[in-house]
Amino acid sequence: MKRMAVTVLGISGSPHRHGNTETLLDSFLDGARATGANVEKVVLKELTFSSCKGCNACHKTGTCIVQDDAIELFEKILASDIIAVASPIYSMGITAELKSLVDRAQYFWARKFILKNLYFPEDHIKRHKGLFVSTAGTSWDNVFDGAYPVVTAFFNGLGFEYYDNIIASDMDSHKGIKNHPTALKEAYEKGKIVVGVVENLKNQGVAQQ
Amino acid sequence: MPIKVLAIAGSPRRHGNSETLLDWVLASMGEEPDVVIEKIPVIEADINPCLGCNACEKLNRCVHRDGMDAMHDKLIEADCIILSAPIFCMGINAQTKALIDRAQVFRSRKYVLKLPIVPPERKGKRLGVFLATAGQTWTHVFDAAIPSVKCFFHVIDIKDTDCHYLMINGVDEKGAIDRHPSARSDAHRLGKVVISDLKKRLAG
Repeated sequence: MKRMAVTVLGISGSPHRHGNTETLLDSFLDGARATGANVEKVVLKELTFSSCKGCNACHKTGTCIVQDDAIELFEKILASDIIAVASPIYSMGITAELKSLVDRAQYFWARKFILKNLYFPEDHIKRHKGLFVSTAGTSWDNVFDGAYPVVTAFFNGLGFEYYDNIIASDMDSHKGIKNHPTALKEAYEKGKIVVGVVENLKNQGVAQQ
Repeated sequence: MPIKVLAIAGSPRRHGNSETLLDWVLASMGEEPDVVIEKIPVIEADINPCLGCNACEKLNRCVHRDGMDAMHDKLIEADCIILSAPIFCMGINAQTKALIDRAQVFRSRKYVLKLPIVPPERKGKRLGVFLATAGQTWTHVFDAAIPSVKCFFHVIDIKDTDCHYLMINGVDEKGAIDRHPSARSDAHRLGKVVISDLKKRLAG
């Protein structure tokens, strides 16, 4: 029996190309690639999309009235088995770029909770894993706390289980992720592991059918 | 000298719940003598997201030339800064987050270049107010937004203890806040408290 390949989508929400967060994401994606997954990376800064206008039109139609690159990205997200959403911490939260994308997912929320024409069964959620990749300049223990609830809302809305965090703080003291003793290696290993986990779940599903 | 109030309406939706809450606070403040109020909707202010270039750590200014130039000066000149925003997906809406991220120039000034944000005689004489609304009824719906708001006020030299909060959950569709049992009176009271506190501080 041919095993089904796992698709992994990395979304980089940093405005700073090839900085600490994107490098950490790359390491995760390299690990995923090493296990044979189909891997793609999208850099939000290179897309053209606007922030949510709060018009609530999607509460009636289930679609967004703004047709831009965000819509295609959401289709890509839904077609992925694993998504790794990356953002540095700016002012104790995710970047405005990533927050723009998160806010634009409102039409999935509307479909799930208002129109009730979208439902992700439990086994779907189990087979779809979301990871949050982040770095922060400071060493404060609570520096990622403002980001987690937002990321949780994003994964929940799109039918992904919030599987894990790949985070590294204190970038200012380390003088960058490349000098962090463990972060890049851990990200690589986590990439390998999560692909294996999802591959097993997918193929169990095929065997049961 | 009149008290200068800078009110920032962060919502992409004009005249929705968070802006209405702001308008109530401003109406209360405006009843007092010698209060000058300026309200700016973020979506009309042309504020782009931070590029993360860190140039402000050396230049002491942002490399972007946009509406933040004017906003930067207003943030320094105001005695009271009121930020209002809706909660979207458990966080502050993206447009307001863009403004908060652009305050990085103040953070660089304060902590990297070790320069003052306001003259020493104005320190401790400024107040911050955060107004928020959320559709969700969860009481923890504002928790993830608050650290970013504290960051914003902190870097513009307004201490945590000099910030007031009025956050109303369970108001979703436009106009829902009109039916809230206490939001309007709480907003009115807050306006009075803030102006009276500022008057004392500025006289002292």
